[in-house]
Formats: sequence, structure tokens, C-alpha cells
Amino acid sequence: MGDALIEARDVSVTFGSGSRAVRAVRGVSLHIDQGEAVGIVGESGSGKSTLARVLAGLQRPDSGEVLFEGENIYQRGKAYRGDKRRLVQMVFQDPYGSLNPRIIALSAVSEAVRVHGVGSRADATARSLELLAQMGISERDAKKKPRQLSGGQRQRVSVARALSAQPAVLLADEPTSAIDQSAQAQLLNLFQGLLDGGLSIALVSHDLGVIRYLTQRVYVMKDGEFVESGPTIEVFDNPTQDYTKKLIASIPGRELRKART
Amino acid sequence: MSANPVPGVSPDSLVEIRDLVIGIQRTRKDRLIIVDSANFDIRRAETLGLVGESGSGKTMVCRSLIGTLKRRSASIFAGSIIFDGLDLANLDERQWRPVRGNRIGYVPQSALTGPNPVMTVGKQLGEAVRRNRKRKDKDVRKRGMELLDLVHIRRPEVVYDQYPFQLSGGMRQRVMIAAAIAQDPDIVVADEPTTGLDVTVQAEIMKLLQEIRSEFNMSVVLVSHDLALIDEVCDRLVVMHAGTCVEVGTVPDVASTPLHPYTIALNRSRIDIATPGAPLVTIKGNPPAVGEWPPGCRFAERCDLVQEDCAVGRNPALVEVRPAHWSACLHTELLGGSHG
Ligand SMILES: Nc1ncnc2c1ncn2[C@@H]1O[C@H](COP(=O)(O)OP(=O)(O)OP(=O)(O)O)[C@@H](O)[C@H]1O
Ligand SMILES: Nc1ncnc2c1ncn2[C@@H]1O[C@H](COP(=O)(O)OP(=O)(O)OP(=O)(O)O)[C@@H](O)[C@H]1O
Ligand SMILES: [Mg+2]
Ligand SMILES: [Mg+2]
Repeated sequence: MGDALIEARDVSVTFGSGSRAVRAVRGVSLHIDQGEAVGIVGESGSGKSTLARVLAGLQRPDSGEVLFEGENIYQRGKAYRGDKRRLVQMVFQDPYGSLNPRIIALSAVSEAVRVHGVGSRADATARSLELLAQMGISERDAKKKPRQLSGGQRQRVSVARALSAQPAVLLADEPTSAIDQSAQAQLLNLFQGLLDGGLSIALVSHDLGVIRYLTQRVYVMKDGEFVESGPTIEVFDNPTQDYTKKLIASIPGRELRKART
Repeated sequence: MSANPVPGVSPDSLVEIRDLVIGIQRTRKDRLIIVDSANFDIRRAETLGLVGESGSGKTMVCRSLIGTLKRRSASIFAGSIIFDGLDLANLDERQWRPVRGNRIGYVPQSALTGPNPVMTVGKQLGEAVRRNRKRKDKDVRKRGMELLDLVHIRRPEVVYDQYPFQLSGGMRQRVMIAAAIAQDPDIVVADEPTTGLDVTVQAEIMKLLQEIRSEFNMSVVLVSHDLALIDEVCDRLVVMHAGTCVEVGTVPDVASTPLHPYTIALNRSRIDIATPGAPLVTIKGNPPAVGEWPPGCRFAERCDLVQEDCAVGRNPALVEVRPAHWSACLHTELLGGSHG
């Protein structure tokens, strides 16, 4: 194991109290090294998004700590200050809710570049257009507001916005769920290139094909806990826990593919 | 031109969509066309897959089936959607009322944000259960619980009184499905209903939709980017690219003998057949944006088999190339070799 760039230690999050309390995350530990992609998979409602928000500095855990470059981010008032805010970026599961409805896609992306002080305004625009084009969003579509875009176009805009800040860590919550297979391939190729360049990625996805393709290690989550973790290929080929077995068995088309080979 | 090809004229047809044109009237003279020549049928009790390029107009077509294009500032400019003697392309708001939600249920694409954020789950389900009829509060609650149970929500009595933000993405999506089937509709249009659901729940939801479908003789229109899922659960599929239907056929036919280069290219990008680490196959270039469609076939620029006559004239229409299998490619003869 290398040096963890970002790390969660024994993190717990509970929503509500009394009989309605939901223990969304229960004593979970994870680490991501530089240049590494890890997957977080598991049941709906198991706490994946909550955990991602904890890592992003958006959800203070009830207990446990999150270390970024060795420093506890929740130690003082605001998590991630100064340049560190730029270095950890999140793509939200719901791209609609996370984009400002009043500003066009291009501005949303280039604003993120400028807020984080990477280059001039003209630079920012050019870079943003290029990034969007790499994801299959044309200049014309880049000038649309969120509600004028299709679901998959919006999703790519929110990925572009996160990437434009040139983060060290990308926390991506279902970043490819709404796009066609060719656009997904484009995006994953882009991610692969960024990984080679040293970006670290935590990928939350229900698409186990995407997880298998992109990540080196995977954490399997159920009821707020990790039930299994390890190298992705190993976990997929030889799941040891019942839940993981059930998960792998539910991948659509699995039976079909087995029959073909 | 070939005599108006009519995909799937069949006694089982429940809905016939013909030459449908959808767009946005920006000024009195300026129209932005988003979908033209959508042509396909929805048959009784079938599961029909709607797949294709992101941004090709799938959601617009879905919205035309429940009369909510206006919410996306769009409207129907031409064509027809015949459903049980009605032309859905020409209904006014009053005529829509008994159809929308009652006979045609809808699971919106943004189910994650779909539910009204300031209304409890129970309240929203209650609206779907009541529709325009009077029902006792007690019965509404009972039916609401029943529906939550149907979509496998655990602790329905807790969830019933919760607000959407308190639910995970997957739970919200299941609530939307529950609302869509509240009236036992003839058709459920589900726009990426399992996007964001874990595969075990996805499999359960699909099983559930199949159960309801056969029990109530319901048709399901399923939009999805998951081609493996479409293969597994659909009877027929429609492939869309840049505002048009480019291929229509049964799932086995399209899988064994795809008749459009776009369908073939899309299949090559599939993640489930990729080797980890190796670059994924993408379609060269980018799809043309709405408003920038080139003449002729809109896939021509990206097509490996492009011929001189492809990029001229009108956008090619669907033609029944093989029995019950339509393609909008002018050169399906070139596809023959690779899959006898
Ligand atoms: N703000 C909140 N208030 C109350 N409960 C919440 C809140 N946010 C999340 N929860 C609950 O915490 C649990 C975990 O939710 P989370 O969104 O992290 O799940 P998830 O694994 O991302 O699920 P999905 O795959 O469906 O997106 C769920 O039971 C959810 O209802
Ligand atoms: N108000 C609008 N103004 C301009 N263009 C629009 C508007 N609304 C939608 N569009 C465009 O119409 C096209 C079709 O959108 P639609 O949402 O139907 O696509 P889709 O096939 O459902 O895509 P996805 O798979 O990403 O959900 C998109 O290219 C989108 O950019
Ligand atoms: Mg989530
Ligand atoms: Mg859509």
C-alpha cells in the first residue's frame, strides 16, 4: 500500500434520532492512494452517497475522521480551506440539483476554473469548451441552460465542472449512469488518461461493468458498512460474502454472456 | 421514396406513432426541430426498449406520450400518436386528464429530483392514488402502503411520512414507480427507471414491471442506456440517433442482425464486453447537435461504411429490410457480409 492521499477512519453518520434514526454510515474506513481508482458499490440506501459527501467535506461525521494529505479536514470549522477546496471535487448523483438552473453549461464549467484561479477568463472558456468536447458536448449545447439539456448532457456537464478545477481527488457519484455506451466509453477513456496523470478517483456506481473496468480496488457496502473489499477482479471473480455474490449474480446479461462464451 | 413504411402494423398495436415531429417554437418564424420522423408502434403487453444516443430525443418522445412536452418548452409540430381511437398528438389539456396517469403511467427520467421536495411520500402517492376520484383517506393510505410494498420499500410506514431528501436515490426512484402504477395503466413509460438503482434492486424492479405487465396486460416502454438490460427484458427495441428512429425490430433480430451502422457501433462500445485497462471503443467524432443536423443521414460523418449518396438529400426513412425489422440505412447491403 502506498501513501493514502485521502483516508476515512472509522467514520459514522446518523440522520435523525430516536425510533426514526437512520445509521447511514457505521464505522467505515477507506483509503485512496494517488493515481488510484477505487469503487464503492452496494445496495441502494446503503450509505454510498453519504460516505462520498463525508469525503468531500460536505457532511461532518458523528465520529471518526477524514484525512486529506495527512490532515484531519473536519478538525476546524470549515472542511477544506484554500487550495484544498479545489483539490477535492465531487460529482453529485443528481446532476439536475447540483447545476444552477440559470447559468449556461459553459459558464458553470468555466466559472469553476476561474473560482479556483486556474488561468484567465479566455483560457477558462477555451479549456472548458475543450473539456466538454472531449465528452461529446458540442459548443452549441454548451451554451444551453440545464433544463435545455438532456439528462446525459447534464451529467457530463457536472463531470466537466468538477474536472475543470484540476482536482487531485475526484469523488464521482454515478457519473455515467445517464449516458449512452459510446459517450460512456469516451468519458471512461478520459478518466483513464487522468488516472495515468495521477488523479485519484472514488467511483460510486451501480454499473458493475464500469467498476470492473476502471477501478483497482472495490469496497462493497451494505447497511452502512463495508461487507467486503479488495482488488476489484478478485472480489468480482471470487466474492466471499453472500451479499457480494448476490450483487454479482444480478448483473444484467450475465447469463447471456456466459452462454455465448 | 418508398411507400410510407409503417413499422409494426400489427393487430396487437396499442399505440401507433407516425412521422412525429417535436420541437421548440422559439419565435413566430423560428422553429428548432428536436425530433423528426419518430416512427414506431407500442404493442399490447410488450416491453419495448428505447435506446440510443444521449440527446437524441428519447425523453421528448416519452413526454409526447403523456402530454408534458410543454414543461420542456416543446410541442408537437406534425405527425400522430394513435392510442385507442385518440390522437394523442392533438389532445387539449381537458382531454389529457383521463389519459395521463390513468391509462398511461410515467416514470420521469429525473426520478432523483422527480418527487416534489416539499411533499411527503404519502402525500404524493395519495395524489396518484386519488387522481380525479374521491376516496377515503384511510383507503388512500392503505393503497399507498400497498404500492410501497409492491416496489419493495422496507419500512413503508416510516417512508410514507418522509420527505424525498430523506430517501436515498434508489428509494426515491421506487416511489416514482409506485406512483406510476397506482392506476393500473395500460402503458407505463419508464424513462431510465433503474438508472441509479443497484443491480439487485434493478433486477427486482424489472421483475416487478414484468409481473405487473403480464398480470394486467400492460405495455412497458423502457428507456435505458444499459444494452444488456434491454437484451434481457425487452421484446422489441427502437434505436434513436439525432432525432430519428434509425432501427426498429425484435431484440433477437437486432442482436443477431443489426441493420444500422449506428446500432453496430453502439454495441462495440459496450462496457460489459471490455477488457479492464484497454482503451474503450468509441464512435469517432461527436453526434451532431440539435439545430446542426447535416443533410442526408445524420450518422454519415461518423460511419465507417459511408457512401457518396449518404450525406445528401433528406434524412433516410425507415424501410422494412427484413420481415418486421426496419432500418433507416441506405446501404444495408454493405452490412450483410459481417453477419451473414
Ligand atoms: N438528509 C437525510 N436525512 C435523513 N436520512 C437521510 C438523509 N440522507 C440520507 N439519508 C438516509 O441515509 C441512508 C443512506 O443514504 P445514501 O443516499 O447515502 O444511500 P446510497 O447508498 O447512496 O443509495 P443509492 O444507491 O440509492 O443512491 C438512506 O437510508 C437514506 O434514507
Ligand atoms: N429547451 C431546449 N432548447 C434547446 N434544446 C433543447 C431543449 N430541450 C431539449 N433540447 C435538446 O433536445 C435534445 C433531446 O433531448 P432529450 O432529453 O429528449 O434527449 P434524450 O435522448 O432523452 O437524452 P438522454 O439519454 O441524455 O436522456 C437534446 O439534444 C437537448 O439538448
Ligand atoms: Mg446514492
Ligand atoms: Mg432522456
